[in-house]
Amino acid sequence: MISRSLATVNPCSMCMPMGSVLVFRGIEGCMPLFHGSQGCSTYMRLYLAHHFREPIDIASTALSERGAVYGGAENLKQGLRNVINGYHPKVIGIATTCLAETIGDDVPQIVREFKAENPSARDVTIISVSTPSYAASHEVGYRVSLKGLVQSLAKRSEPNGRINVLVGSIVSPADVRFLRRLLDDWGLGYILMPDISETLDAPLRSESSAIPEGGTPLVDVMDTANSMATLTIGGSVQEPGAGDYLKDEFGVAHTATPLPIGLEFNDRLMASLEELCGLPMPQRYERERGRLLDSMVDAHKLLAEVKTTVYGDTEMVLSITRFMTELGMRPQIVATGAANSAFAEKASEIAPGCKVMIGADFSEIAEEASNRDIELMVGPFTGRGLAKRFRVPLMRVGLPNHDRYGASHQLLLGYEGSIYLLDSICNILLDSKEMEQHERARNKKETASI
Amino acid sequence: MSIVKIFEGREGHISCKGEDAGPLACNSESLAGAVSQRACVYSGARVVLNPITDALHLVHGPIGCASYTWDIRGSTSSGPDLYRSSFSTDMKELDVVFGGEKKLAACLHELAEEYHPPAIFVYSTCIVGIIGDDLTSVCRKASRDLGIPVLPVKSEGFRGNKNEGYKAACNALAALIGSADYVPQGPSINILGEYNVADDLSYVKPFFQEMGIEVVATLTGDARVREIQRAHAAHLNLVQCSGSMTYLAKKMEEKYGTPYKRVSFFGVEDMSNALRTAADFFALPQMRERAEQVIHREKSRVMPFLQACRDSVAGRKAAIYMGGAAKAVSLVRAFQDLGMEVVIIGTQTGSRDDYQNIAYIVKDGTVIIDDANPLELSQLLVRQKADLLVAGVKERFLAYKMKIAFCDFNHDRTVNFEGYDGMMNFAREVSVSINSPVWQLPLNRESGISSRIGLECLKEMSSDDIPEPCHS
Repeated sequence: MISRSLATVNPCSMCMPMGSVLVFRGIEGCMPLFHGSQGCSTYMRLYLAHHFREPIDIASTALSERGAVYGGAENLKQGLRNVINGYHPKVIGIATTCLAETIGDDVPQIVREFKAENPSARDVTIISVSTPSYAASHEVGYRVSLKGLVQSLAKRSEPNGRINVLVGSIVSPADVRFLRRLLDDWGLGYILMPDISETLDAPLRSESSAIPEGGTPLVDVMDTANSMATLTIGGSVQEPGAGDYLKDEFGVAHTATPLPIGLEFNDRLMASLEELCGLPMPQRYERERGRLLDSMVDAHKLLAEVKTTVYGDTEMVLSITRFMTELGMRPQIVATGAANSAFAEKASEIAPGCKVMIGADFSEIAEEASNRDIELMVGPFTGRGLAKRFRVPLMRVGLPNHDRYGASHQLLLGYEGSIYLLDSICNILLDSKEMEQHERARNKKETASI
Repeated sequence: MSIVKIFEGREGHISCKGEDAGPLACNSESLAGAVSQRACVYSGARVVLNPITDALHLVHGPIGCASYTWDIRGSTSSGPDLYRSSFSTDMKELDVVFGGEKKLAACLHELAEEYHPPAIFVYSTCIVGIIGDDLTSVCRKASRDLGIPVLPVKSEGFRGNKNEGYKAACNALAALIGSADYVPQGPSINILGEYNVADDLSYVKPFFQEMGIEVVATLTGDARVREIQRAHAAHLNLVQCSGSMTYLAKKMEEKYGTPYKRVSFFGVEDMSNALRTAADFFALPQMRERAEQVIHREKSRVMPFLQACRDSVAGRKAAIYMGGAAKAVSLVRAFQDLGMEVVIIGTQTGSRDDYQNIAYIVKDGTVIIDDANPLELSQLLVRQKADLLVAGVKERFLAYKMKIAFCDFNHDRTVNFEGYDGMMNFAREVSVSINSPVWQLPLNRESGISSRIGLECLKEMSSDDIPEPCHS
């Protein structure tokens, strides 16, 4: 189950600082700053611009040889000064890179010095997280950054009567918009965090701002300590994160659910929400649930026993796999690039008999796929080489998606998102079947004419 | 008067032609916190070497450096596709503590056995430079054991900018060149600094062949290791992307006496001049005649279309922000051909000579900028009233958010821009983006109801009466 080879061939994961950007970009007025060499920020800007089709500004302390030898304090301070003067942020989120971690810079101490030396920076909240690429994947980077935020900022004051809704793994802006809608419809008071619904999918306006509008307000981040409870959506197989910290530190009860994809996992989210607030699920969601069921019945024969490979981020993979088993599909390979053993346990439970892979790369997935007659792949676009090689249709979900439009608008969560996913899977299978038939007919014709 | 004022210390990197300000500051470290568009040393090395299609490219470092460079560039292959796979030693915490040499050596053996590449390039990343792995000796030993060239590329990210990466790549190439015997049949060239983005070479190389010139190696677009090993046998090096490959051309001149000439394959005149440059070098009357025939034929083929495009964009204003200066200079000429005015021109890594050259060819009032960032670029685009930005993906969405047309002229592009056909594609892309109806759409909806009944009434309506927004 663990990586067979030494080298990683065609990676199924990214590095820790990437996860931090997706958290920092979900905080209002927040500018991410990487402490490291210039390339890290440029590469991740490029990668995220491809995916979201939005301008992505990530500052860098642009460490050079001198910084690497004598420490990066000067660069970090200069970087903070320039970000404050150029972008006028409310918050700066510093994430470290391999370089900064290996030369051993004490980032919190440097930030304290900076604050003392620059009284004018008093109004800017600066937080830092430790995210060396070699330590873990982007998913862990996301989790520790979210945790880092509440660790630095949550403060006890008066009970606020709200619930914290933490987006526990990387989903699309459309997914976050869905969650907001759901909570609004429910009439709940809530703090949703991180909120990338506007910041990474901004409307075209007459004026654009350097830091995109939207995101969780800073006061709300601070107020998470005073909520009635925390619900982490997409946190079913993760190590302790922000929700656990709030529970341990401030006694805020914590529940973690899988991502709401498919019937059971949506039902589970709705049950958790009902339990937390004592209000029943709004009627319109009952109707949407019924429509999902109706769609599942409509598609059950087309999808029956279809053999699939599902790969990508842990929570996304688990929830899609569960949805597939509800539909009578046959997930054969369930894989993630993360080294997450809780994922492995859960995946085996959801789809008994499937091949579960953790810390996987695409060369390993290919090896497993070669004798399993896979009919459909579901995951990020990085699996496209594999899909092409096995002539299998690929349904692109999650980050990254560089070669198709609509990554920001892809709704997968909720009964509604599940219907969209289901329809997309059906249509992609039908397209591929039609193409196959077309090719067969053409080959026959060509053979006949020879 | 400063042109844009955002970051202290950037003043010298921005100038306006015609306002006497002395030479542009350049080739210095990027300013911390300014969000430079530059990448790192590793990135420079990677873009230069990665197009070698049958080589195995192994990144010695943590996974990120390999993830973000995996098959995101548009260099295509006419054959092998090993270069489209990403290989990494995926260093973990223990490797950082105890050193990564053993893992690297083991990976090299494992990968050579599985993929049988004719050569392996091993890139070092930031962390390798800090923990001090001896890349050279690991590669030397592996090369001996495996019987293939295993070439260290010293590209620790923090040791400078992209230019240092180009040098590291050229050093690796220089080590490969000359390791296979070859005698060309007739007049022969290498094409340097050409990366076969979007199949560019197939719109350029055939013209040289038509003129009776053999292309021994292209560096590095659509290259095979074998061809590069034979590159020393060619009579002439044509250098396109001068920023990345002049260093190698000079090395080859020193070592093998191969002369080099700078050319560009972008734009009708540049492409034609490239063919003439080669013909002049060999000084064969027949070849010259052939070149003129090709040029005449191709020009008459593409000019009507280009004229039509010119009519649709003439007088509009263009901004150019490129990685290197060679492309930026070619673009100025191309925009002149389209009747457009260049109002901003900048590069990530131009040299003092580059900027002098640029200042020479642009008009008074043009802003010249070195190592720009999003804040400066967006202010300049407004100040200079640009209608179009030519740059890479990072800048694309900046332009779009400002409602400015955009043309992608980087490694990410998927449309061929070189040769005569390429110029047609370029002109078309510029024209369709500038003239798209999307720029004319009303940003704000005219609302009859809100002016008629006023906001108060809207508030009083119950939420059921307000139609739900349409969800995706």
